[in-house]
Amino acid sequence: MPYILTTQKDIEEMLKTIGLASLEDLYAHLPFKIKLKEPLNLEKSLSEQEVKDRLKKLSEKNTPICKFNSFLGAGCYEHYVPSPVLSLINLPQFLTAYTPYQAECSQGILQAIFEYQSFMCLLTGLDVCNASLLDGASSLAESVLMSLRITGRKKVIVSNSIHPEYQITLRTYLSGFDFEIVELNFDKEGLINLEKLKDLIDTDTACIALASPNFFGLIEDVASISSFAHKYGALSIMVSNPLSFAILKSPKELDVDIVCGDGGVFGGGLNFGGPSFGFLVTKQEFLRQMPGRIVGQTTDLEGRSAYCLTLQAREQHIRREKATSNICSNHSLSAIGAAIYLSLLGKDGLKEVALSSLNLAHYLYEKLHQIKGIRFPFKDCFFNEFVWQVDNAKKLIKMLYKRKIIAGFYLGNFYQNLTSCILSCCTEKKKKEDIDEFVEALKEIVK
Amino acid sequence: MERKLIFQKDMNLQTSYIRKPEIKMEDAANFLPSKYLREKLPLPSVGEFEVIRHYTNLANLNFCVDTNFYPLGSCTMKYNPKINEEVSKFEGFIDIHPYQNIDTVQGALELIYNLEKLLCEITGMSRFSFQASSGAQAELVGMLMVKKYHKIRKAKKYKVIIPDSSHGTNPATAAMCGYKVIVIESTKDGLVDLDKLAAICDDEIAAMMLTNPNTLGLFEENILEISDLLHKKGALLYYDGANFNALLGVTKPSLMGFDIVHLNLHKTFSTPHGCGGPGAGAVGVREELCEFLPVPLVEKDKKGRFYLNYKVRNSIGRVRSFYGNFSVLVKAYAYLVRLGEDGLNRVSHMAVLAANYLKAKLKDYYLPASQKPCMHEVVFSCINQAKNGVSTLDIAKRLIDYGFHPPTMYFPIVVKEALMIEPTETESKTTLDDFVKAMIEIDTQAKQAPHLLKNAPLTTPLKRVDEVKAARFPVLKWQPENLE
Repeated sequence: MPYILTTQKDIEEMLKTIGLASLEDLYAHLPFKIKLKEPLNLEKSLSEQEVKDRLKKLSEKNTPICKFNSFLGAGCYEHYVPSPVLSLINLPQFLTAYTPYQAECSQGILQAIFEYQSFMCLLTGLDVCNASLLDGASSLAESVLMSLRITGRKKVIVSNSIHPEYQITLRTYLSGFDFEIVELNFDKEGLINLEKLKDLIDTDTACIALASPNFFGLIEDVASISSFAHKYGALSIMVSNPLSFAILKSPKELDVDIVCGDGGVFGGGLNFGGPSFGFLVTKQEFLRQMPGRIVGQTTDLEGRSAYCLTLQAREQHIRREKATSNICSNHSLSAIGAAIYLSLLGKDGLKEVALSSLNLAHYLYEKLHQIKGIRFPFKDCFFNEFVWQVDNAKKLIKMLYKRKIIAGFYLGNFYQNLTSCILSCCTEKKKKEDIDEFVEALKEIVK
Repeated sequence: MERKLIFQKDMNLQTSYIRKPEIKMEDAANFLPSKYLREKLPLPSVGEFEVIRHYTNLANLNFCVDTNFYPLGSCTMKYNPKINEEVSKFEGFIDIHPYQNIDTVQGALELIYNLEKLLCEITGMSRFSFQASSGAQAELVGMLMVKKYHKIRKAKKYKVIIPDSSHGTNPATAAMCGYKVIVIESTKDGLVDLDKLAAICDDEIAAMMLTNPNTLGLFEENILEISDLLHKKGALLYYDGANFNALLGVTKPSLMGFDIVHLNLHKTFSTPHGCGGPGAGAVGVREELCEFLPVPLVEKDKKGRFYLNYKVRNSIGRVRSFYGNFSVLVKAYAYLVRLGEDGLNRVSHMAVLAANYLKAKLKDYYLPASQKPCMHEVVFSCINQAKNGVSTLDIAKRLIDYGFHPPTMYFPIVVKEALMIEPTETESKTTLDDFVKAMIEIDTQAKQAPHLLKNAPLTTPLKRVDEVKAARFPVLKWQPENLE
């Protein structure tokens, strides 16, 4: 039988030691009524070769994105992953270990996570980062829950230019309580309007949650919004694409209280959307309300530098129903991958990735301006993706698919008022010729 | 010599992983207002070979399933087959975007569809969602469904029953759903106390969360009485499947009366734990609860084409973006088809055999937490050893010197000085015998040379780590000034 090392002789000896006659006796005390009388209605075991063939066939029913000229982003981005990232995170000593509860035989994991936390603090300028969360959407939900605990207030203001699936996730996470969730609509430029925010905010507001770059790729005036939130004693929570930190002002400079988002851009790959990992970085004063694992530096008995999981009195295995979150498993391996990615690229490399994406996206943006039927509803203050408008957007996307071009994400799927809009993204993976091909195709179709 | 952090290996090197764009590159200030731009980016730049050596050396400091016996109770640290890794990295699985046209990801949807069918057969549930990325998030999905189920029925139910032996995630999840947690004490055998349950089971109970086998490794023999009691009061029974490795092909949660089930694919179905994740939590429900599942669900139309269904009538919503941890699902699927009906059944029998074998071999040295037969894991209490002044922690740390990852300690909390051992089915008898030998030697040392335990581990690069200091004076990140 696959993966079993116990021989028939072993089984007999072990049963004898236990004092049982047969393997069935191991289950003798289970009520007869609930025991299966027939084997499960499944296939018998397959050889490794058959498994591989079957999975290969399934995988070939998908068309990988590299076979397309794709401008899809919308929360899941195609970036180049340097070879050492995959080779290192697939080391069995990372891949097949568990949460580092036992510090003495897990120092490598602990130090790697400590380095991840440090990297995120350097990038954001903020004080404390946890050992990772599950993804960007749930990291927003955890951040908002944190703000509710910190302020003891009952209302949250959520910008609707945050990724719509993050917004749904947030509402789902909060659905067990009677918190008030107020939606802040983006204005005609695709941005948050401070005047509108003024109408919504009050002294019962726990936080204003926004995204920058937002779902449309636009950069918000976060500093102004943060300072406005603080006037009312509310926290400012920013969802972000962490690659943007390479060129944009750090969340600390924007006086953001909690920054969160998806870290998949750091060496993660697409994976059909998962796994990636969620990050959450905040100010020192909110440390005790943070969810999830945290690694700290300490010493061993002989005074040498050492690492361990710490501040566990916040967590479910100690505090049970009074814990800051129910989170147990996180996405440490992906977070370690991010630390490795950042080590490899370094300061200049990361800037290069961000700047290439920015330049290529703006190059595409400029090129699209040459096409008469294409309009631009929002401002041009964007990072690596932007919104454009065209008649029959949905049909256009279909026509381009036939030419192996994926124009981008159709915004009508999420926004009823953006049914003629497409969100297109460029990362450093795009070549000039890819963009030119896309533009030429559009010129032929859009007249 | 002190081990350095990656930040202390900064070489200020230029790297060239990224192709130079063929367009003229402009500064960010050319596109964006300067008030939005950052001046300094304080990151190290370390050469590739140095990065490789740094993280490879870090990796070598860890125990893992591939290198060491890892009998961490409740975590099911079984062998993670290499074929699963290989197939999960096929280009057609890795390089696909969640918003690609559905016709170009038919293989991915078919895999999810097939995996769902397998789990339905194994558990007796009607449908599964794979959106949750961990066991705890799966619990959240399950308990939010409970909440919505009662809300639709306008039933005023605001309490959830949880045994005192439960995983910490259970009460934490119930609290995240706004429920009041009612803790039920276990009997001295370690099972749910039926009389006490009857006494607290009133109309205000929304659900009971239960692990079976429970965290003492015991099968809840009165499971049918328990489910009857709850169902009569209109409450639902939630199955925390963390311990399902004991029951594959033996019984089904549906037969035990469970309404909602979560399975940890990273435990029972062997996807690796990756230092604490990514894993995946599959949530299954009975027919009448399908309308509450998160969206989207994978369906097949009459033409055999797979699609994502967002129209689930009373869906709780979603708990993350996209469709869950797809790569993890690929690994679990590969494992399930490799094992098949006969292999799965063998898994549980061997897992239970191994735990009972360890119990029989060690029961004269360590006090079993219960006299009842155990399932896939066995809990001992180290109170006899504690009389000699050594703690469970000392015993656990001493095991590291023998090359074994320590079992789960001080859990379940209902057992004093608990040591929770889950050998899993993939260990050989020789490994189990070596472990037994070590445990017996440690028991002797506890009496004759307790300092060996108190100072353990003695063979690791670092001695015992000061966790109290870590919590009292938290240092949670590298700072140039405090280390350089």
